[in-house]
Amino acid sequence: MNDNVIKVENLVKYFDGRCVLDGINFTVPRGCIYGLLGRNGAGKTTIIRILLGLEPVTRGRTFLLDTESPNLSPKVRGRIGCVAEGHNLIQNYKVERLIKLCKDLSLQWNDESFGHLIETFRLPMDRKVRDLSMGMRAQLNLSLAMAIEPELLILDDPTLGLDTVARRQFLELAIEVIQKQDRTILFCSHILSDVERIADRIGILTAGKLVVDCPMEQLKERIKKLRVIFSESVPANLYLTEIINQQIQGREMTITVANWNKQKQAILETFKPSSCTEIPMSLEDIFIECTKPNPQPVEVS
Amino acid sequence: MLTLIKREIHDHPLFFIGSVILSTVLIGLSIATLKGHYWIELTAFDSPAGTIVSTILVFVFFGMGAVQMDTDRTRKISAFISILSVSRNRILLAKIIAGLLAILIALVPLAVTVTILLRIHIPPIPVFHVMVLEIFSGTFLITLACYFIGLQAGWNSGRLPPVIIGLILTCILLTLIIIKGFMPEIMIILTLFTVASLIRTWHLFMSTPL
Repeated sequence: MNDNVIKVENLVKYFDGRCVLDGINFTVPRGCIYGLLGRNGAGKTTIIRILLGLEPVTRGRTFLLDTESPNLSPKVRGRIGCVAEGHNLIQNYKVERLIKLCKDLSLQWNDESFGHLIETFRLPMDRKVRDLSMGMRAQLNLSLAMAIEPELLILDDPTLGLDTVARRQFLELAIEVIQKQDRTILFCSHILSDVERIADRIGILTAGKLVVDCPMEQLKERIKKLRVIFSESVPANLYLTEIINQQIQGREMTITVANWNKQKQAILETFKPSSCTEIPMSLEDIFIECTKPNPQPVEVS
Repeated sequence: MLTLIKREIHDHPLFFIGSVILSTVLIGLSIATLKGHYWIELTAFDSPAGTIVSTILVFVFFGMGAVQMDTDRTRKISAFISILSVSRNRILLAKIIAGLLAILIALVPLAVTVTILLRIHIPPIPVFHVMVLEIFSGTFLITLACYFIGLQAGWNSGRLPPVIIGLILTCILLTLIIIKGFMPEIMIILTLFTVASLIRTWHLFMSTPL
């Protein structure tokens, strides 16, 4: 058995002649929380839809739990929990009926943990799904996904519409799930602090390409933002590769470089800068740098 | 599977109530016609009543298929269900079984009533029973084919051409029946058309993003 729960191989997707995903490759090992980031329309939801077999690929292949996405059998699907963007539950159903339908169509259902979640979220059973607030819908969706005790949990912007308390509850729950053996989570979110809290591997999508795919702790090591001051003017060419972003103001240059290493440091030192200081970067800073429009996107992996 | 079929029936109660009402009306019409010994006109489907009956059946079940799929698509029901441990094949099969059930609710009581009435009012000539069988199997096939076309039209909702093509095909079939009646050649065409409609519906449902 392969230890990669999710495998994406050279994924290409076109919508009406427009390239949305351009040769995406990544794997998610068992037990990993993978945070997939990207701006609106970057293609995160499309990747998830393709992984779940809801959308066909233009080229490439995707696998979930060792099964190619278009061939996911009900048995394999039963091992995957999903909280979709917008929480597309059946709107005209009462909560109680929706729960019964999901329970009847599931291979396994943990009544105890589901009851605990429903109680925690205080979800009204007699109301129609469409009458619930966005936050309540998110909670219901999450409860339904958790009740099947999934080996793989796919969360597409799950905290969208949740208040601070509910968001915190959700994240704690996600951590609880991952602590159980062999659970894997693919997590897309715009709230980067959430991702930073729970993810142990990060992927950043921009302009249809996965420009970052590495463990969280390595990400901050590999992407460096430096303030470099030269005694005279800034050299026209620094001969540095994989520059994500650079700004020049007089003798001062602020530069963000991917895959920072000793070689690059040595190249920079040959220009004898009068000072070179590192600017600390949060995940949000890294995300903003990586998703800035860049003629030559660099890859961090 | 049973859960999915039950869901379809529970979500579309009007289809089944409508089928019962339709069946009752048609039974009433049959009783009136056969009591007046106009049975031959009914069997040939060339009377205005026969034409109206077949037209009603065809359009009712075309509409039913279209509404069934349109509701599914707009409410993203299949997209939600297919994330659970259910295959797309089963989702569609459940829809078709529910539709089939509605068609049978409309047709079977009518067929049974007509057969009984024929036994009471008409001399026991075997050819009549064969004719009744041909008429009902033919009506069943055209209704089923139109239901499938309706499913396709509903799945393509928002795009006018498929709906128009569906309606044109329905009208052609209906005209063929009205002109030719339920001859063996027409029955073969109907069978082929029904199978083709089913395959097209299946392909459309399986290949379209949910």
